[in-house]
Amino acid sequence: MSYPLIAGLMFSSMMLLLLTGQRVFAVIGFVAAAFALALWGQGASEMPFAASIQLLNWYPLLTLPLFIYMGYMLSESGIADDLYRMFHVWAGPVRGGLAIGTIGLMVIISAMNGLSVAGMAIGASIALPELLRRGYDKVMVTGVIQAGSSLGILIPPSVVLILYGMIARQPIGQLWLAGVFPGLLLAGLFIGYIALRCWIQPGLGPPLPAAERQVGWGEKIRLLGAGILPLLIFFLMTGLFLMGATSLVESAAVGAAASTVVAILRRRLSFQVLEDTVRKTLSISCMFMWIILAALCFGAVFDGLGAVNAIRLLFLDQWELGPWQVIILMQLTYLLMGTFLDDTAMLVIVAPLYIPLVVSLGFDPVWYGVLYTISCQIAYMTPPFGYNLFLMRAMAPPEISLRDIYVSIVPFVLVMILGLCIIMVFPQIALWLPSLYYGA
Amino acid sequence: MPAPIKSYVRCVDAVNRVVGRCVMWLVFVMMGVLLWSSGSRTLFDTSYIWVVETAQFVMTGYYLLGGGYSMQLDSHVRMDLLYSRWAPRTRAAADALTAGLMLFYLAVLLVGGISSTQYAIAYGQKNYSSWAPPLAPIKIVMVIGIILMLLQVVAEFFKDLAKARGETLE
Repeated sequence: MSYPLIAGLMFSSMMLLLLTGQRVFAVIGFVAAAFALALWGQGASEMPFAASIQLLNWYPLLTLPLFIYMGYMLSESGIADDLYRMFHVWAGPVRGGLAIGTIGLMVIISAMNGLSVAGMAIGASIALPELLRRGYDKVMVTGVIQAGSSLGILIPPSVVLILYGMIARQPIGQLWLAGVFPGLLLAGLFIGYIALRCWIQPGLGPPLPAAERQVGWGEKIRLLGAGILPLLIFFLMTGLFLMGATSLVESAAVGAAASTVVAILRRRLSFQVLEDTVRKTLSISCMFMWIILAALCFGAVFDGLGAVNAIRLLFLDQWELGPWQVIILMQLTYLLMGTFLDDTAMLVIVAPLYIPLVVSLGFDPVWYGVLYTISCQIAYMTPPFGYNLFLMRAMAPPEISLRDIYVSIVPFVLVMILGLCIIMVFPQIALWLPSLYYGA
Repeated sequence: MPAPIKSYVRCVDAVNRVVGRCVMWLVFVMMGVLLWSSGSRTLFDTSYIWVVETAQFVMTGYYLLGGGYSMQLDSHVRMDLLYSRWAPRTRAAADALTAGLMLFYLAVLLVGGISSTQYAIAYGQKNYSSWAPPLAPIKIVMVIGIILMLLQVVAEFFKDLAKARGETLE
């Protein structure tokens, strides 16, 4: 059997076995180990463990548990209560204003944390009940929270961009800066969509009743103060890292510590909260780490099969695609795979195959990292498999059905694809800030 | 279910619960080590070559030793296109059927881990870094973590089997 055929067989057997509902890390690890042994015999039995040694030396992954801890700690600290109230008062009078304010809230949360977990937890516990109580359309609200929280992996800090940076060997600082404007662009597009939709169909997002709008200017100004603390956390983490004062992993530790201090100052930190946070951190960290562990082994077997060259031959020689056609095809395959496959595993398995090709076609790998991250955001939301989808299902109140959750993402995914296209056509949106900061 | 299986499950559950609940606090060790490193560099202009590597070792122990407890907490995601529509008993039966996948992967992981640890002990292998710490201790910790995970997976298999047959293990 030829190597490309074996690679295809590997991929399809993984997809089939995933359908049994067995844990993702186990399926990926099994397929990788079984094919390694079948292909190369006993000598390959060290491959799964070799992946754990590789993980041991991937020190940027230290940011993962720290960011997870920070996300849970921030949502427990109640820092978002004041922020939500700020957006509520300022954006409330407009049609759909509270939904627009929720996107604003998500942008700020995203600037403090590198995963979508924090945004989901805060969105589902604070914004969702408030919005439903004020007669907002439940389908739209569900979409707003899923789409808004997905910005967490694009706006710096970002764990997905760290993982991408390790695989593509690109500087994390540049990748993070490249995520800033695309993140804001997406947020802007979301807001535009909500405003337009609620202007056409006012029933979806009624403005606040006049009685609730009676907030004095003094109070309004005072509420803006809620933004100071997040700004400080952003500076301590991303600011100090970009200035070179702290290393990447140190900045994550600073952020985790800062979120704990906020919780203490706001008197929200009981032993129960601390224990819950620490336990959830272990739980989510283990999930990610075991998936990455198995996927690294899978990737190594793929690499041994010469999959990188096979893809190059297929795309460039057999199908004779131009550079842009290759990029578009890659994004389409990501989007398609992202609906079925685990998003982290996809990054570890597929990105190493695509990145060499992207670089050899003369594209900027930093720009490609941004495209990749936006595809990941979409994958987080598209059924049947996506992290935001899982979290939403676990956190949603009973009146929101599974169907509501599935339907809610459709307009937002379309908006995100529009954003993706804009950034493909205008790479400067991503690349301007890093080239300004680091010098071209 | 026979009594030895019941006591095996109880025993493994208890061990992994204790290990996991201890290990979960290591997140503060990682935080502390890294804060200390950045603090000492900024304030006293001294940096230590062992800091980040120590944090890496802690991280490795964290997710491998915590693996068994994470299985108990059911933290691991599944592709639940079909799975979510099945009744609890069908799910347990499917899990019991496919437990072999997990056992196979962990067994290969363990075999590789043991041989790699033996090598590290026999040749006094050091990490390829300027600090160059010996690798045997962390590899032993990793192997223990994999064994704990393997034991837990077997326990979960018995739990699923019991559930699929309409029994409980308690």
